[in-house]
Amino acid sequence: MKYNFELIKNKKKIIGFSTVLILLSILGILYSTFNTSYKKPINLGMDFVGGNELRIERVCESECSNLSPDSVLENLKEISKNKKVLNNLKLQFQNNNKLISIRTPYLSIEESNNLISYLDNIVGPLNYESKDSRLIGPKLGKRLLTNCITSLLVSLFAISLYITIRFDKKYALLALLALFHDLLIVFGIFSWLGIILSVEVNSLFAVSLLTIAGYSVNDTVVIFDRIRENLKFKKEGYNEIIQLSVNESFRRTTFTSITTLIPLLSIILFGSYSLFWFSLALSLGIIVGSYSSILLAPSLLLKD
Amino acid sequence: MKRRQGWLFFIIFLLTLSVYLLINYPLLLGLDLQGGSQLTLQIIKEEGKVTRDELEAVNSVIDKRVNNLGVSESNLQTLGGDQLILELPGEQNPLVASRVLGKTALLEFRTQKEGTSSDLKTLQLQRLIIKELIEQYSSAEKSQYDDNFLKVIQDDLKEIVQELNYSSTSNDLYGKLIEIKKYVDKEITNLFIKTDLSGKDLINAGRRQEQTNSNWEVLLTFSNSGGEKFAEITKSIAGTNQLLAIILDGESISEASVGNQFSNTGITGGSATISGNFTAENARELEVQLKGGSLPLPIEIVETNTIGALLGSKNIFKSLYAAISGLIFVGIFMIFNYRILGFVSVLSLVLYGFFNLALYSLIPVTLTLPGISGLILSIGMAVDANILIFERIREELYDGNTLTRSIDSGFQRANSSIVDGHITTLLSCFVLFLLGTNFVKGFAATLGIGVLISLFTSLNCSKTILRFFTTYQSLRQKNLYLPRNNFSN
Repeated sequence: MKYNFELIKNKKKIIGFSTVLILLSILGILYSTFNTSYKKPINLGMDFVGGNELRIERVCESECSNLSPDSVLENLKEISKNKKVLNNLKLQFQNNNKLISIRTPYLSIEESNNLISYLDNIVGPLNYESKDSRLIGPKLGKRLLTNCITSLLVSLFAISLYITIRFDKKYALLALLALFHDLLIVFGIFSWLGIILSVEVNSLFAVSLLTIAGYSVNDTVVIFDRIRENLKFKKEGYNEIIQLSVNESFRRTTFTSITTLIPLLSIILFGSYSLFWFSLALSLGIIVGSYSSILLAPSLLLKD
Repeated sequence: MKRRQGWLFFIIFLLTLSVYLLINYPLLLGLDLQGGSQLTLQIIKEEGKVTRDELEAVNSVIDKRVNNLGVSESNLQTLGGDQLILELPGEQNPLVASRVLGKTALLEFRTQKEGTSSDLKTLQLQRLIIKELIEQYSSAEKSQYDDNFLKVIQDDLKEIVQELNYSSTSNDLYGKLIEIKKYVDKEITNLFIKTDLSGKDLINAGRRQEQTNSNWEVLLTFSNSGGEKFAEITKSIAGTNQLLAIILDGESISEASVGNQFSNTGITGGSATISGNFTAENARELEVQLKGGSLPLPIEIVETNTIGALLGSKNIFKSLYAAISGLIFVGIFMIFNYRILGFVSVLSLVLYGFFNLALYSLIPVTLTLPGISGLILSIGMAVDANILIFERIREELYDGNTLTRSIDSGFQRANSSIVDGHITTLLSCFVLFLLGTNFVKGFAATLGIGVLISLFTSLNCSKTILRFFTTYQSLRQKNLYLPRNNFSN
């Protein structure tokens, strides 16, 4: 109606754009695998490698005194004997020095309690009511990783199966292509985030990939449905019908993406920090997913 | 028309029911929202899979121990065939729980082999020295921790190692000390012969303070047959220089002689005391472990999450902000673009919210942070179906069809796309729920429930509300359904 996007004319641009995105993602994954300290396609977080993460707030009267992580570390070394902890300890202050966030290799509950009481000595008093502590054993980490990978594979397989049964071969193939395009790009973005900002992925990232998969296919299905319907009832040429269908679905696809992005954005802005990267991954997935459903997949349907 | 009215009453009935449920059955909050500790216990089995029976057995022992710990609330569930998840709401320091739960607590009674008295004495002395060294090492302040101090410990240790003729593999001093202590414990245990009396023969355990000093002792009460076995065993070694050892998880915690006066009947009465320098805390932990019985398989605590109560309530508020602001902005967007139709979708969204929450309290679903994010995300997806339908209705209206007709065919034609689209999301949720961890399950559950309910609210509720609206003449003008004045008729 009001939208009149020249899909046919822009076919090359769209395919080119996607190719560039995919190449960049693959580059990130390769770089991450071979050129980083962790030597993995993506920076695996605590959920998958095990460790101890502690966040706790200080009790301050008005403003929290300025402290450098290095001096705190020096002090810790004075008191604590636990070399295992000290050698690999990452310490950060956030929220105007109020929040202390610490990462160490896996500790027992006792060792972790000791660490907290040392901290209390150095930067205390601490507000124990604000504690957020996670201890994950390396064994569990490995298990979680295999668990996540299996979930991803199984559900991708289930989705593929469903689409192949439900649609013609050509449509099914393209819907899957769009799906893998979306997942690869989101994965690639997080590879790059890991390289540049040392952002780590945890089990929620796998969840976001799965959700993106469901969502992306949903979007593509709607557009393909429209194309099928128009091919049945309208008399224009094949390519024109596809372009028409895309324009007819344009509002719907952008609108549903917007209504899904709005709640995600409110989680990013107002929600708990533990959901930040999760919501971001989902948002990225939805943006890429809408793009691939509305522009990439139909472009690939066009005949030369 | 009558059928639609029936639906309207049905929806109102459901809404009332939901409100009633929510008032009377408050939602269950996960630990990340109310504060507390969560421990994941992994059952360790060297060969083969953990069977269902073994899992049940471990579960029941852990359950008993948790109950005897005296925590006010707890929730224990199995996960994935060989794991247990224990939640302790409000518990900020799971140290005691982890110590009590983590031990196998296999209690054995053994009698000393004949002619090993001098060997035992040497080993007992070595054990004492090592205990002292460990004590010294761990109680020393970092400042005292100079080379001299370390050298003293190392020299003492060297002596013992030579005596034992044992080479340790550990690199650091502390690791060495622990390793050698274990070795000595094992050597001591080897000097004793197994009897058929074990922790299984206990019916109760208790503790009391010793009269002479401030140490505590643990009291054991045997079953009838256990009491007989105990009498038998004590009779067999009474008056000899063979000792009776009580061994817990391979470590002897008490070695005692049995006096000559028991050589006729053995120690009768069906009870025994272990007095091995227990502190009040240690005695209580052992009491709890013995009461619960020993674990059929060892377990390891592989994950511990602790969330402070204040952080929990902060998380609730943050999630509320996120959910409400998400809802409001989606509502504004919909009304701006679809006018009355948008308003209808907002109403069905509100219904959607109520139905969801009511179902959570009914099933029940424990709300966690990922769970809430699943719910918030599903708001967006719930509107998805509405948008699909409304776009169709708009097209029909543009084509010059009447309002009633447009609405009908809009709902009809969008049906298949909606169901198709939601099935893929449901598939993902299903897999996540089957394979995911506890944490992930919360998300899959709320998103899955959300998608299912949204099928009902966006297809049925929206249609019913819309039909109800269009019974009013004033609400039937086409321009109320189309934004801006681009509608030419």
